[in-house]
Amino acid sequence: MARILLIEPDQVLAEAYRQALRRAGHRVILCASAQAAIQMADEHCPDLIIVELQLVEHSGIEFLYEFRSYPDWQSITIIVHSQVPPSEFAANWPLIKTEFNIASYLYKPLTSLKELTEQVDAELAHSNIT
Amino acid sequence: MATANGSANLSQELLLSVAEELKLPLLQIARLVELGRLDGEVDLRTIEATASAALKLLDNYALGVRLALEPRELNLEPVSVASVLYDTGQQLDELAKSYGVSLELNVAGKFGTVMAHRQGLQAALTSLGAALIEALPALESRQLKLQLATHRSRYGIVAGLYADSDRLTDTALERGRKLHGNSRQPLMSLTHTSGAGIFVADTILKAMHLKLHASRHHRLYGLGTVLPVNNQLHFI
Repeated sequence: MARILLIEPDQVLAEAYRQALRRAGHRVILCASAQAAIQMADEHCPDLIIVELQLVEHSGIEFLYEFRSYPDWQSITIIVHSQVPPSEFAANWPLIKTEFNIASYLYKPLTSLKELTEQVDAELAHSNIT
Repeated sequence: MATANGSANLSQELLLSVAEELKLPLLQIARLVELGRLDGEVDLRTIEATASAALKLLDNYALGVRLALEPRELNLEPVSVASVLYDTGQQLDELAKSYGVSLELNVAGKFGTVMAHRQGLQAALTSLGAALIEALPALESRQLKLQLATHRSRYGIVAGLYADSDRLTDTALERGRKLHGNSRQPLMSLTHTSGAGIFVADTILKAMHLKLHASRHHRLYGLGTVLPVNNQLHFI
């Protein structure tokens, strides 16, 4: 069972994702903002993080900047699961991916719960976390 | 011509934010149905509330554009602000339950009636309320509570929606208006969405020669509008 920190600002979606990830056997820690996410990461030491980029006040990118600035958190797997289409990053995406060590980018409107949980399992397996 | 271009820009910007906003309820419905298929139990109440809120947003958007383009449709009538707030609360009730937000109606005091376009006023407050209901959990507000309230100010009767969040400010609103059409999240300090509900409310109120602005109600922060008092109506 992996500990997953899910940063999702929409309450209804967050609950659906939490239930799907729980069904897949994971423990889910939910939070809605970047500030709360840093605190939760400190408290719960997650194995994997799923983050939306469109958050209130501080964006997901700001969260990534801060999160990756801590040496202990450099290698934690991060999946970006966002309603921002990847095309909006265009040429900058390879740089962002490398800079923040992002494992994968899932465009939320086109990612089913099944695809999300499969991607989570694949990334955890890749990091040797079961 | 300048006005026509201005209106076209307005409706395009608004349409873009409504289109972005509508992705959310459609996504919620798709995921809730998928989850229901896995669990064998579909959360029909939330799906219905979500679909209904999305339909209301579309209706309110259409009304806002119609009133902005065709001011002759603006028929004013004597309106009780308390009754508009009550009806708004009824319209928002199911959506609020889906988000775990409790709605409170605070219409204490007798404020009489104002001259307004009832449908427009209610549409503006409903759009605003739906946007705030979605935003409150994301604001990590200590209390998931939204108060529909009215009070008297020196400029008239204020009708608004209030919460325990000091991010509901005129500065945030003004910044959002400037970014509207250029940013996918113009009201970044207020909501994670495109903020379409707030801009629809803004458009409707503007068409009614009113203004959406930040307001305080007791210790709460909120957004609302001031309705000018017509003394002659006090005899009705």
